[in-house]
Amino acid sequence: MKTGGQASVIFFAALALAGLTAAMHPKKPSFPNRASDPGEISLQEVQNWNEPVLWVDARPESDYEVEHIPGAVSLNPDNWSEQLPHFLDGWRPAEKAVVYCSAASCETSREIADRLRRSGVDPVYYLKGGWETWKAKR
Amino acid sequence: MTADATSSVTVPQPRMLGWVALALRIVLASLFVLAGVLKLLDPAAFAVEIDHYQLIPWWSCALLALFLPWLEICMGIALLTRWFSRGALAWVTALLIVFSLALSSAMLRGLSIDCGCFGRVWHSTGTFWPLLRNLVLLGMTAFLWWKPHHQ
Repeated sequence: MKTGGQASVIFFAALALAGLTAAMHPKKPSFPNRASDPGEISLQEVQNWNEPVLWVDARPESDYEVEHIPGAVSLNPDNWSEQLPHFLDGWRPAEKAVVYCSAASCETSREIADRLRRSGVDPVYYLKGGWETWKAKR
Repeated sequence: MTADATSSVTVPQPRMLGWVALALRIVLASLFVLAGVLKLLDPAAFAVEIDHYQLIPWWSCALLALFLPWLEICMGIALLTRWFSRGALAWVTALLIVFSLALSSAMLRGLSIDCGCFGRVWHSTGTFWPLLRNLVLLGMTAFLWWKPHHQ
């Protein structure tokens, strides 16, 4: 069989198995829209709360120092141990905390939100689109 | 130099190249099977990784997340077993080129994303090292196109 024919056989075999996966896999992706991750929140939803929000900046401190959401505190994986006690001192229970990082593609905000939740901070969310979204809609 | 002496110098060389080709084939096949299996553990998470590249709409990310892992596994098995191995090599070449272009595009746009090459199992890989690895793998693939029949 020629190379193209062989490649077609492989393609259709993979396609059939992908169909089975789509039908049976418990962790198949959602169609047609991406399901929001638990804890992910849009800027519009935050603005609709109409209540004070504790913003948490999970970007590197150098970015935080250049510019950040007014009132935001810096808390990222690098300064976590030093800054968490200060953060907990300033946090009022039941105050909603929203973590953001640079862009939709960064994972740090979700990681920090998970860490905060494990530290007893609740409710805590992470901002969909991160800093880029906030800056674009400011 | 006699004819016997000449043959004793030239004969082992293609045999050695054959062993190199076999080793490269096993490495490539194992990598793709491993990558496919790890992605199949959580196709929804892999779809999100593809979405982070911001190149294609979500529905196609979801379709690719279901299809790509199986394509990689089928390619790997075909390379290992030598059934349809030229077809598998064609897919390997095409995928490595597409993956490298996607990684280069992410780097040029300054996206701080994970490669997603092994699903979410291996995190914080960035884009530079996976791109470099892909180029090495492309070199290995080129060798296999050049020496496909040696074992």
